[in-house]
Amino acid sequence: MKFLDQIRPNISKITSNQYNIWAARVCLVIGIVWAYIWSLNGLKVNPELIKTSLPYMTDFLSRLLPPDFSILDVAIKALIETVQMSLWGTTIGAILSIPIALISARNLSPFWLRWLASLLQNAVRSVPSIILGLFFVAATGLGAPAGTLALGIYTIGYLAKFYQEAIESVDKRSLEALQVSRASWWQVAQYGVMPQVLPLCLGYTIYMFEYNIRAASVLGVVGAGGIGFELVSYIRGFEYNKATTMMLVLLVVVTSIDALSSQLRNKFKSD
Amino acid sequence: MEPLLDNNLPAIACHNVRTEYQSTLQRPILNGIDLQINPGEFVALLGMNGTGKSTLLRSLVGLVPINQGDIQIYGTPVDQKHIAAVRKNIGFLFQGGGLVDQLSCLDNVLCGCLGELSTWQSLWGFPQRDRRVAMQLLQNLGLQEQIYQKARQLSGGQRQRVAIARTLIQSPHILLADEPTTGLDVSGINQVMDSLAEMHRKGLTVIVVLHDLALAAQYAQRAIILEQGKVWYDGDCQTIERQFARLQSLSQFQSSKVA
Repeated sequence: MKFLDQIRPNISKITSNQYNIWAARVCLVIGIVWAYIWSLNGLKVNPELIKTSLPYMTDFLSRLLPPDFSILDVAIKALIETVQMSLWGTTIGAILSIPIALISARNLSPFWLRWLASLLQNAVRSVPSIILGLFFVAATGLGAPAGTLALGIYTIGYLAKFYQEAIESVDKRSLEALQVSRASWWQVAQYGVMPQVLPLCLGYTIYMFEYNIRAASVLGVVGAGGIGFELVSYIRGFEYNKATTMMLVLLVVVTSIDALSSQLRNKFKSD
Repeated sequence: MEPLLDNNLPAIACHNVRTEYQSTLQRPILNGIDLQINPGEFVALLGMNGTGKSTLLRSLVGLVPINQGDIQIYGTPVDQKHIAAVRKNIGFLFQGGGLVDQLSCLDNVLCGCLGELSTWQSLWGFPQRDRRVAMQLLQNLGLQEQIYQKARQLSGGQRQRVAIARTLIQSPHILLADEPTTGLDVSGINQVMDSLAEMHRKGLTVIVVLHDLALAAQYAQRAIILEQGKVWYDGDCQTIERQFARLQSLSQFQSSKVA
């Protein structure tokens, strides 16, 4: 009885803490449900419209078949251009992302520099790729160069963030061990940071290359070269069967590159 | 082993060392540390969690800045100006080893001699002479099979022994070890502690953070117990169990008073 009297204040403290935790959880769930309902109202979804639009959708899809393989050579040529755009766009973006990631990393840069760098990253990320495409088409004219430059800038928004996170995930103790061994800044970077960061960054870059092939297809819509340009031309000319061939070729290439890049990324992880 | 520096000077001297105020603890982590460790001593640094053991060790090599007081290593102050000279004398064993997982054991050991090489010299790898020394060290520590293995493939005990080899290649006079036995099995603990004892026999001053009182009594000559950022006990290891029991009853008494 005496013992219970002693621990009673602690029990009431624990119980009130548990009530607080539960109240916070219930508030969180209510908040999430409210956000979903609010978003749905904002979308002004009309269930009736979905029901009546179904025949239009099936009509559109039926016009895509069968694919017209007579334009296979055009599709392959456009696809090669898309891959070239993605390769150069990713490379340009990757190179420009390195300094931005370095000055964004929490473990390397002071607060004011990080703030500026993250502002720059957010500014780049908030510009849609289509707008970048339009901007570079206006600057360099129609074709692949505009698309490549647009992809380069678009890539920065993502790779700079990925690289930054890779740098921030470096094991702090391993770097401190090198510092205590009197290693210079460059030696710490070469023997401490690079071996830990490089496999991750290569994996992210390959993923971005794969992603950029799909992004390049969208850029074609605004005349920035690649397979998207041909795809939109066929759809605008009501040549849906030819558009299907374009999409099939794109599907084959994206799937192959995905398989290849998964293998490469796994290899980097295990090294 | 190179002859020690001026043996008349203490290897480590701390005077009223205080770190930055921590609002969570409502005091600085180190709150007025005064101690002196002489060359060739084997000291166990003990205490409950959060009493400042690791912070004290890290402040000795300039990894934690101090706000007040001063630390001297063989008479050289630990400050921005002298940090390279101070670190030349000290080897540091981190908890878990502090290895670069993606590098081989050999490269991890060679990283210990980066301070002796210019950036240009180490840009294309390490000199053959250093590679031979690193291999010999790994062999001496029973890691001849693991020389070219990546550090992440090693067990906890093997990692610590690679870290010991990395420390030894620097030929330090003082070895600081921050909980080197944490997470190791009995054989790993014995291997690591025997290696430290061997280094002590060769003339190194060894300061090791431990939680195991029996290990401290078995290997160390002197124990320092920290409590709330201060030295609470400094003496031989024979009475540490009694000291710890006293410390625990005191903490229980203080917490019951607060409640």
